[in-house]
Amino acid sequence: MHKWWVIFKKEIFRVVTDRRLVLTVFVLPGLAIFLVYFMIGTVIGGQITSEETHEPTLYTEHMPAAIEERLEERVDYTLYEGDLERSELESMIEEETIDAGLIFEEDFLSHVESGAVPSVEVLYNPAATHSSNAFNHVNGALSAYHESIIIDRLDAPEDYHVYDLSTRELFDERAVTAQGFAMIMPMLIIIFLFVGVMNIGPDAIAGEKERGTMATLLVTPTRRRNIALGKVFSLVLLSFMSALSSFIGLLLSLPRLMQFDDSLPELSIYRFVDFLAIFVVIVSTVFFIVALVSVLSAFAKSVKEATTWIMPFYFIALIIGILNSFGASATQSFLPHLAPIYGPINILAGILTFEYSVLNLAAVLLSTLLYTGVFIAALNMMFNSEKVMFSK
Amino acid sequence: MHDLEVRDIRKTFTLSRKQRKIEKTDSKRKVAVRGLSFFVNRGEIYGLLGPNGAGKTTALRSVATLINPDRGDISIDGKSVLSHSLAARRKIAFLTTELKLDDFFTPNYLFDYFSTLHDVDETMREARKKTLFSKFGIDRFAEVKVGDLSSGMKQKTSLAISLVHDPDFVIFDEPTNGLDVLTARTVTDYLWELRNEGKAIILSTHILSVVEKLCDRVGIILDGTIKREGTLSEVRGDADLEDVFFSLLEESVHDA
Ligand SMILES: Nc1ncnc2c1ncn2[C@@H]1O[C@H](COP(=O)(O)OP(=O)(O)OP(=O)(O)O)[C@@H](O)[C@H]1O
Ligand SMILES: [Mg+2]
Repeated sequence: MHKWWVIFKKEIFRVVTDRRLVLTVFVLPGLAIFLVYFMIGTVIGGQITSEETHEPTLYTEHMPAAIEERLEERVDYTLYEGDLERSELESMIEEETIDAGLIFEEDFLSHVESGAVPSVEVLYNPAATHSSNAFNHVNGALSAYHESIIIDRLDAPEDYHVYDLSTRELFDERAVTAQGFAMIMPMLIIIFLFVGVMNIGPDAIAGEKERGTMATLLVTPTRRRNIALGKVFSLVLLSFMSALSSFIGLLLSLPRLMQFDDSLPELSIYRFVDFLAIFVVIVSTVFFIVALVSVLSAFAKSVKEATTWIMPFYFIALIIGILNSFGASATQSFLPHLAPIYGPINILAGILTFEYSVLNLAAVLLSTLLYTGVFIAALNMMFNSEKVMFSK
Repeated sequence: MHDLEVRDIRKTFTLSRKQRKIEKTDSKRKVAVRGLSFFVNRGEIYGLLGPNGAGKTTALRSVATLINPDRGDISIDGKSVLSHSLAARRKIAFLTTELKLDDFFTPNYLFDYFSTLHDVDETMREARKKTLFSKFGIDRFAEVKVGDLSSGMKQKTSLAISLVHDPDFVIFDEPTNGLDVLTARTVTDYLWELRNEGKAIILSTHILSVVEKLCDRVGIILDGTIKREGTLSEVRGDADLEDVFFSLLEESVHDA
């Protein structure tokens, strides 16, 4: 049996049969992501629904029937019953118990017909969403009434007809969905991978140094290279599974989060090759992060020290991920794709928005694997180095 | 030629800033072992007796192929362990009481794991396991996780899993350090038994009684070199081992 395989199996066994680790590595990440995003989605959803279904409350004085008709065409509203003092009305609008007030001069219609200029006053609260919406409806009704009066007054009503207006709302659902994915996915993937590796990497390497079992391992007739490979490959598999758990949690919460009417989001906007590209980028990135964490853990004397050293790298990755979510559109220039972490995040955003070149994808994969190779070579040297293994 | 020979080894460490503070020194380098030589044959227990920082662990780690001396040579059955480390590791065990096994695994699992790494085949492994586990009373706890074992049982498990390959040379750094009297007794009895089976044992200690009870020959190590060496009676002459040890200690403090 190959020695690296023996070590690989032991590391896997360690995690999958420990109830606490199974919980923290495989169950909790997915569950936490699902709950958090489900809740965020529910809150956002609640707001949207309340805007759509809210029936405004209006207070009116002397509202003419002609205007009332036009208002009813636009919105279902409730009239506030009872008379209010001016100051009472103002404070009720500020407090959002009433959404808008319409005060017409007495005998408004007969004034208009006689050619006098009566007054109408509209009160609303621009800081409140419901009040602003109510104001738009009121404004629309008043304009429509105003227009009809003007047309009546013209000698030749067709003069009012100046142009034909038609508006079309163009809304590419596919692009909107893609943009949504590109905003959250690359960042979350990197975070999940990092957290997955951080959960188990330090213990597998720095932990052995701390407990002294590293010496027991090193006096066995096992080549250092096989120790390094066994550790790295097992960590890759475990981290990948951990990231997968988060990913499933995310997928299950997506319908809520992105308001897709409780059905799974349209993943079918992506082709098979897109998924394949995402998959290979993720796998190469897992290798990179595992190799990085392994090198740092091998340098550290204890699990705690290892975690301290990994943190700054995690934060850098986090910041790159967050910046990507704000920018959201991927750069197409070649060189940035060679940068560790940034390259993979950028190409993931590119794939998700259908804007990536094979050249850039290749650049990301090759550079990531190159860095990984360098780290693994370094790790092998570290396992061979007494200075690193038995530092004081 | 002796079965295991250490010839004139020297080992220098570069001190980290933190270490320089602890050791209260400005020099960046520390000679942990200088011109150290000794030998041990099968059927013999050799003891390195010395105070803290004398270089015991450094010497034993060098013999165990864990660190490379800057100079000198170490050979087992005439073959240099420095150039043939993989072959040497098949014949040696390196033990220390500072070893803390991973809480999660059972003695049984660890025994199998280290057996495979030591290329012990299955029949051999099961036979060894039976012998060692019953000798140390681990058999009843073979499937209990290390974390749930008593500290004595943990130590006995470390001992068993370090000896899976029935090595001819047993290198033991501070064999009784931090052990309760009962466990310490089990360990020293077992070392004596190994000696009588014809194994070669090198141990280090700062405890005089361990040397007096166990060692066929002893080397008193101070500041990286062996100041006096021989059989127990040669080293102590008419005096008490403790008096010899302290007078050597005083001399070396004067020299420094
Ligand atoms: N890896 C290392 N890096 C730097 N200095 C070291 C290293 N290992 C040992 N030393 C230094 O070498 C000297 C000898 O250390 P060593 O551990 O061999 O002594 P020892 O006799 O085993 O002492 P103790 O009784 O404390 O175990 C000490 O001054 C120690 O600080
Ligand atoms: Mg020591």
